[in-house]
Amino acid sequence: MEKKPTPYERVVCKNTSLYHYMKINLVFDSRNKSLSAEQFKQLIITGLKDLYGEVGAAFPFDVLTFNQTELSAILRVYHSSLVKLWSAITLIGSYESVSCAFRVTQVSPFLLALSGNSREMEVF
Amino acid sequence: MFLGFKITVNCLVCVCRYLLCEVCMSERSMLRLLEEKDIFQAVKTAVTTAHGQYGLALFNIGSAVRYVNAYTGVVMLRFRKAHYQLLWSALPFITSIWKQGQRVPCFFNCIHVGGTIRTCQKFLIRYSRQQLFRMLPHCKTEGKVISSIIILRIIQIALTNHL
Repeated sequence: MEKKPTPYERVVCKNTSLYHYMKINLVFDSRNKSLSAEQFKQLIITGLKDLYGEVGAAFPFDVLTFNQTELSAILRVYHSSLVKLWSAITLIGSYESVSCAFRVTQVSPFLLALSGNSREMEVF
Repeated sequence: MFLGFKITVNCLVCVCRYLLCEVCMSERSMLRLLEEKDIFQAVKTAVTTAHGQYGLALFNIGSAVRYVNAYTGVVMLRFRKAHYQLLWSALPFITSIWKQGQRVPCFFNCIHVGGTIRTCQKFLIRYSRQQLFRMLPHCKTEGKVISSIIILRIIQIALTNHL
């Protein structure tokens, strides 16, 4: 019996994903500072409010995970407000008079892509 | 000999949108004291509250109060065409105007958006005519009736001259 060759099929999905996921890290000038997940979200909302006003502070975004020791988090934001959120967290300079900075490690429309990256990958 | 010379002029085309707004104040007496700088400050504060530093930066580019009529409360604001909709969305957030150290509650009602001052003027003439027709039945004294009829005649002449 001859097997019919499977026809080659290429599927191209042109719809952009509804959400974008950002892996970010908060770095303080002094090592002693720490904050809870609620304070972390409030800090980002404050940054949005400074730059984009009341309308900006109303952009819906979620903190999916938060690591208090490393101060790293994964944010989920709508595709249309990604640029505004990213620009707002870039311009946050201080929290309670302590200098700080947000480092954006990874941004992806798929959450699975944030599970690993080639920088931190260990090949045995 | 004919000396021909070329003049090149760089034209900066400022494409603007003119917003005609009506200021509704609770105290009619304070309406008479309305000034351009008060309106400018009120709009600036509202844009900063609603849209933050980004909105304030957009407002600082080419925005101005072009015309204020203290008797009717009509104000003409000029914005750049590129971002007039963002600044327009901040106008309903204006709740008060600071006048002589006092906070006077007011409300901005946008009646027309035009591309040039002339189109706004044409609209304003038609609008004033409609308002006068509405106010005529409420006139209590004969003097007010006569003066409103005279104003209507003037508006009619102005309209026919424009057309």
